[in-house]
Amino acid sequence: MQNQHETQLLFDLSKQGRRALRLPPCDVPERPIDGLLPAAALAPAPPALPELAEPQVVRHFTNLSTQNMSVDTHFYPLGSCTMKHNPKRNERAAALPGIADLHPYQPESSIQGMLHILHEMQEYLCEISGLPACSLQPAAGAHGELTALWVAAAYFKDQGQTHRTKVLVPDSAHGTNPASAVMAGFETVTVKTLVSGAVDMEDFRKKLDDNIAVFMITNPNTVGIFEPQIGEIGDEVHARGGLMYLDGANMNAILGISRPGDFGADMQHYNPHKTFSGPHGGGGPGAGPICVVEKLRPYLPAPVVAKRSAVSHQHSAKENPQSTIRNPQYYLDYSSSKSIGRVRSFFGNVGVLVRAYCYIRSHGPDGLRRVSEQAVLNANYLLSRVKHILPVPQGDRCMHEFVASARKLKTERGVTAMDIAKRLLDYGYHAPTVYFPQTVPEALMCEPTETESKETLDAFAETLFRITEEPAELLHEAPHTTAISRPDEVYAARNPMLCHCS
Amino acid sequence: MPFTYNTEEDVAAMLEAIGAASIEELLSQVPADFRLDRALDLPPAMGEMELDRHTRELAAMNVGAASGAVSFLGGGVYDHFIPSVVDTIASRGEFYTSYTPYQAEVAQGNLQAMFEYQTLITRLTGLDVSNCSLYDGASAAAEAVLMALAAGKGRTRVVVPASLHPEYRQTIETYVSCLPGEVVTVPAPDGVVSLDELRAAVDDQTACVLLQQPNFFGCIEDADEATRIAHDAGALMIAVFDPIGLGVLKRPGDWVAAGEGADIAVCEGQSLGSPMQYGGPFLGVLACRASLVRRVPGRIVGQTTDRRGKRCFVLTLQTREQHIRRDKATSNVCSNQGLFALRATVYLSLLGPEGIKETANLCLQKSRYLAERLAATDRFELAFEAPTFKEFVVRDREGRVDELVADGLAAGYLVGVPLGPLYPDLADCLLVAVTEKRTRAELDRMVAILTDDAAASPQRSPREPAEVG
Repeated sequence: MQNQHETQLLFDLSKQGRRALRLPPCDVPERPIDGLLPAAALAPAPPALPELAEPQVVRHFTNLSTQNMSVDTHFYPLGSCTMKHNPKRNERAAALPGIADLHPYQPESSIQGMLHILHEMQEYLCEISGLPACSLQPAAGAHGELTALWVAAAYFKDQGQTHRTKVLVPDSAHGTNPASAVMAGFETVTVKTLVSGAVDMEDFRKKLDDNIAVFMITNPNTVGIFEPQIGEIGDEVHARGGLMYLDGANMNAILGISRPGDFGADMQHYNPHKTFSGPHGGGGPGAGPICVVEKLRPYLPAPVVAKRSAVSHQHSAKENPQSTIRNPQYYLDYSSSKSIGRVRSFFGNVGVLVRAYCYIRSHGPDGLRRVSEQAVLNANYLLSRVKHILPVPQGDRCMHEFVASARKLKTERGVTAMDIAKRLLDYGYHAPTVYFPQTVPEALMCEPTETESKETLDAFAETLFRITEEPAELLHEAPHTTAISRPDEVYAARNPMLCHCS
Repeated sequence: MPFTYNTEEDVAAMLEAIGAASIEELLSQVPADFRLDRALDLPPAMGEMELDRHTRELAAMNVGAASGAVSFLGGGVYDHFIPSVVDTIASRGEFYTSYTPYQAEVAQGNLQAMFEYQTLITRLTGLDVSNCSLYDGASAAAEAVLMALAAGKGRTRVVVPASLHPEYRQTIETYVSCLPGEVVTVPAPDGVVSLDELRAAVDDQTACVLLQQPNFFGCIEDADEATRIAHDAGALMIAVFDPIGLGVLKRPGDWVAAGEGADIAVCEGQSLGSPMQYGGPFLGVLACRASLVRRVPGRIVGQTTDRRGKRCFVLTLQTREQHIRRDKATSNVCSNQGLFALRATVYLSLLGPEGIKETANLCLQKSRYLAERLAATDRFELAFEAPTFKEFVVRDREGRVDELVADGLAAGYLVGVPLGPLYPDLADCLLVAVTEKRTRAELDRMVAILTDDAAASPQRSPREPAEVG
């Protein structure tokens, strides 16, 4: 039960003299701070943090939490985000002492269990993608894109092909694709897509030339179809000497069914927080490991986790019992002189990777394949119901998600995709992703995931139908049952108030 | 497949509604050439009980700060105390299983928490604006450099001291590697940046100067003078700070004088209530002056009112971002470390002004105690004279740093970070960090272990690695 009283700002709840955490007394001889540090470096007073009691902090944040929808509480068909169930067993594993309490600069002999997990993750991700080399370091999907593009840039530089300045991106791609390309020093060229969502091959061929570095493709794409000409696209990019990058946002559709390395991708990232159920954390953290073809391996960020062969490991252990400490089985390998270097501090978003490891171990090869089969089944079932309510321009089939359009409703009754999205909140559903991809007018992108029931999908479709029958005026002002409704975003952008001023 | 609902009956009914004979028919969208014709080569599925046993066995092969070792490791990640309230709040499913607050009406919890986070960061740094966080400290530093290059209108030089975290410098190198920009490193021979050399390196082509305070070696830099050098040349000052240090140290925005300090401040926020997790995920903090707000990467939350006039919070200034601007965006970042920003918000709420000051003071007092005790032995000396905050560099006169680390581990102590791999000149040195969690008994035992004192016994052996499949 939500309690509005306790959701005032922290700063309004503050009262001078309140304390929560109390620290132990200093147990070494204490000296005045100004005798230990130069006066010029010292603050005149500690920072103006709020002063609160512990029960107050608990109540404040607990009540704030009740103002969120979440996967644990609601159906969350947010397309492109794969909001599936977050297994609690993974949370437990990631929090174990011996996992959560490891420092990145510990001696390798003291973290063999962790390096085992990370080494296995590298191998699992390579197997699932059909690509032989892996870096677990990138911190998010967009960071994985950027890392892979740096790898591509280093590769082409090494090959003396610095004329390759172009990155081709379909107009339906995630905005991160062109943004990452620019950060890696490339210029982006947009390739059109058809109503079906497929790449417009004519436009693609017009824009493909010998200056191509990378074609970035999302497959299944953002309208949820498997690119029908992916083979031709890969062949033609390769014939021009370019590389094909797979945005792996939609891997939930093809686990064990099709592998990017087999359909022509030279590089890809994963979103373990989507595909492998690492929770989304209200916006993060995620992770963005990448896999690449053999010729790109030397350019991956350093280090990678490597394993000494069992023979040499046992041999050295026999000679010197100390050597398992000095030469443990798993180690961090910094040896590639062509590496692009570091893309972040330390090894990677390990906490997310541990959860993904648990997810893969919980499913095994058959389970992962069934995850994708059920995700595709649920999406097609929802599509079969929604298409009678809102047109789905791409057709009758999809992979893991589809994009419905409210264009007709807007023309006829002035009801927009946003109106529908907001009204869904009243009925206790998180809205689909709206106005993306930009290629579909009044887009509502639905991704039900495999961890929802037929009953939920039926009820959602029935609610959607009911909404389309409701008066336009009611919908324009929706939601009606939430604590707030239709925040003034224009005002927020024109008069930025970005912190609470005292 | 432990997390799905559909029964055979459901599947049959759904396929009938779709008009497909089988799931296989649905998958026929994938061209036959690209269908995987075998099972993935992965280990078989485990039930929850087997997984629990398996992960515990793997965890038991490690020795960490809460699993058998006393940690003196630092270098950007620290074993600070995490109050239980932080875990309790961050474990609420409404927080950790929600996503980006695109629908503000059903995300006010996250949005208000992020607004509170932004406010806390501005108060901590003395700057005007904070975003809702980036990946980690190193990428936040690199994004700050990109902001400065964009604001510098053609200035291409990025000046970094050798006393800035080496991994941050390497990350910055990578981020500017494909853009017009050059990174110039200024030496820090005495553990702090040489101000003369800094002055010589900064010119009218310099977009920004970075300074870490306290720096990678734990030493206090002359931040005021470094800031003057940057500003006199028309360059931006980027501060890399330790958030716990701000319990006693001047805020980056107040370097030189209030309002005249750093233009952008970044840090690794792990110290603010996040577990070490072998290096991530963490929290990249970025704050700046109001004049730079349109160049800030990543998400920002703003206050507004709803259609009924009620105060509320939304994602704002989105025209900077990739989903609107695509190739013209300030950055490709499309997420934030929401859960870790939340942890930091709860942590700082529990600490308050007195708590952060006391925490900082305990780190300072205890680290100085240990530093002085080690320096009083025959074997060790402090590598630098500059005053330090919570970590310091100690030189082993016998030059056997690897042995110290191995022997320490055998005694259940993670004694420090060997600096040789990062600074070849400091191959005989160890970076030692002391947080408020370390007790005097642990500090005294640390001295005994490092000096091989008989009092260091009884020796503990590291756990034997178990065979795990």
